[in-house]
Amino acid sequence: MDTLLAFLTVFTQPELLLLVGLGTFAGVYVGAIPGLSVTMAVSILISFTFSWDVYPAISLMIGIFMGGVYGGSRTAILLNIPGAPSAIATALDGYPMAQRGEAGTAIGVTTVMSFFGGFIGIAVLALAAPLVSDFALKFQPRDYMLLAVLGILLVGSLSSGSLVKGIFAGALGIAIGAVGRDPLTFTERFTFDLTIMQSGISFIAVMIGMFGVSEALMQLHHVDKTAVRQKITRIVPSFGTIRKHLPLSLQTSTIGVIIGALPGTGGDIAALMAYDHAKRVTKKPERPFGQGAMEGLVAPETANNAAVGGAFIPMMTLGIPGDAVTAIMIGALFIHGLNPGPMLMIDQPDMFWFIVGALVMANFFMLLFGLTGIKLFTRIVEMPRGVLIPLIMLLSIVGAYAVNNSISDIYWMLGFGFFGYFMRHYGYPLGPVILGVILSRLLDDNWRRAIISEREDLGRFFHGIFTSPLSLVLFIAVILIFVSQTPLWARAKAKLFGDPAERVQQ
Amino acid sequence: MSRIETEHHDGTSDATPGGYEGQRRPGELVFGALMVIGSLVLLWNAYGISGFEALSAPGTVPMATTAVMVVTSAIIFLRDLRLPRVAGESVAKDILPGVVLIIALMLVAYGFLLKPLGFLPTSALFLIAALKLLARRGWLWTAFVALGSLLLVWIVFRIVFTVLMPAGIVPEAEVIQAVRNLFAGGQ
Repeated sequence: MDTLLAFLTVFTQPELLLLVGLGTFAGVYVGAIPGLSVTMAVSILISFTFSWDVYPAISLMIGIFMGGVYGGSRTAILLNIPGAPSAIATALDGYPMAQRGEAGTAIGVTTVMSFFGGFIGIAVLALAAPLVSDFALKFQPRDYMLLAVLGILLVGSLSSGSLVKGIFAGALGIAIGAVGRDPLTFTERFTFDLTIMQSGISFIAVMIGMFGVSEALMQLHHVDKTAVRQKITRIVPSFGTIRKHLPLSLQTSTIGVIIGALPGTGGDIAALMAYDHAKRVTKKPERPFGQGAMEGLVAPETANNAAVGGAFIPMMTLGIPGDAVTAIMIGALFIHGLNPGPMLMIDQPDMFWFIVGALVMANFFMLLFGLTGIKLFTRIVEMPRGVLIPLIMLLSIVGAYAVNNSISDIYWMLGFGFFGYFMRHYGYPLGPVILGVILSRLLDDNWRRAIISEREDLGRFFHGIFTSPLSLVLFIAVILIFVSQTPLWARAKAKLFGDPAERVQQ
Repeated sequence: MSRIETEHHDGTSDATPGGYEGQRRPGELVFGALMVIGSLVLLWNAYGISGFEALSAPGTVPMATTAVMVVTSAIIFLRDLRLPRVAGESVAKDILPGVVLIIALMLVAYGFLLKPLGFLPTSALFLIAALKLLARRGWLWTAFVALGSLLLVWIVFRIVFTVLMPAGIVPEAEVIQAVRNLFAGGQ
């Protein structure tokens, strides 16, 4: 009964309902405007809402998250410019559809499928999270440590970039998170004897710099690009189209939830993987992939919205973010004095059910805003980047300043912004940095707890890992990620499954 | 992996980080070298925290992570050494064009001016200069858009989010109080 009440909180309080709606509306447009991403919006918003109560703040962020993941698809279809990272795969088939004059159908299918995927994600979250949190109580400190390492590694290994760069980025994040006085012994770490370093680097400054300023600087390269307008026809898709793609959408939603639930990996990776999956399983598409196949639209859009619900699972149950946006939300919960993890689910189940309720509401709002307001939409999206970029920069500065009212946070933010700009150019992923910063404390604490409980004996520590099934699984997963990137793996694969080139030679 | 739209192959998403596979962009080697040096400095600093005192010492995790940074940055650097350079790209054109450099300098200037000058004048200067540079429209349009959006930002954040920015030379609080009095007097 309490559960139901907590779930309904958002529906019964008009203020929260309004905030979720406002958030979703803003999210759709933030996601749609090229150059504004959800991660950027949420990281800037967190600094403005921190003086609010926790419920309204979370309502707004959830709305933006849900709406933003969807919103990117619009510009991907209409302009061939994915408005948000999670819509990159959508452009591959969405834009060719628009060129054929089927932009309306494409948007309609995308909207309904996003709604569908979103629900699957939320349903899995509602069902799985309580179970996972019960299970999480059995986690030893070493398991948390391994999970944190795994999360940082997964981003690097599942993306198309290089794992080594991902590992570097993750380690850098952990180091940034360690700056300041050590909470257990009060020893100074990485302070270089400077007073401003003693209290550490504000993770919000790092986040806004990396996702706000560096992105805005990157957009300066495309400041003169003009948009091509497409004609939009009928939007609400026919029931037959939906039914035809139902089996595929179920599969891709599952991919989305799983990728979302893996620590560290979010909607952008889920969408690309789902697209590849659709390409493999669709034997006879009506049109080839890349030329406007409906399946190529259904797969990424269901997956990225399903990943939203999925990403909340590790966040709520373990305190380990499912992707960059939930990493920022963990930061928001910290600021509001809540500590995400298994104890939160037990002490304050209301918080969890409130989030589920807000997600459901956001999903409905997304459907509503998705099928309406196209006219307004085309006008907003055409906002010139020359106006947008300075405004993003201004908001980033205000956001960085607002949290601690300190000018030095602005310098940190700008510093990380410039640094992130070069990281983007040279192919270093930024997600692991943020994940590292957020997980630094958790990793350090749990490592020390684990090794102290084993009386500082590495042998006993590894004995503990090898005798606990859970730790062993996590440990093997970490090792496998490393091995899969080495030439050793390619050779072993060739030996096991037979390499066609080698067989010819024999 | 599928072909990605070029504009978003610039590191916007972790799924498709920027850079090129099998090629090295201009300046990448310098960046890589800086990363190696930076990692070494951090490792040395981490060693200074508590040395090899105990496995649970405050310096253990920092030492482990910075050691990982040194190893990975060295691998990246050595790999880059062998890669061919991307043809037709230059630092001045593709990595750090003039406009990025100017905007970056303007951001730094903003940071320095914020405290003495205050939020409103600094932001107005920044927005007008940046808009003029990027949107390339007439002065009137630039000033109108810049000041209009600044007013909007200020109202939203000062009133709704109650964010207090440095007032500097503008008597913000007095103005707000005067407006409040005006409305209070009208009732």
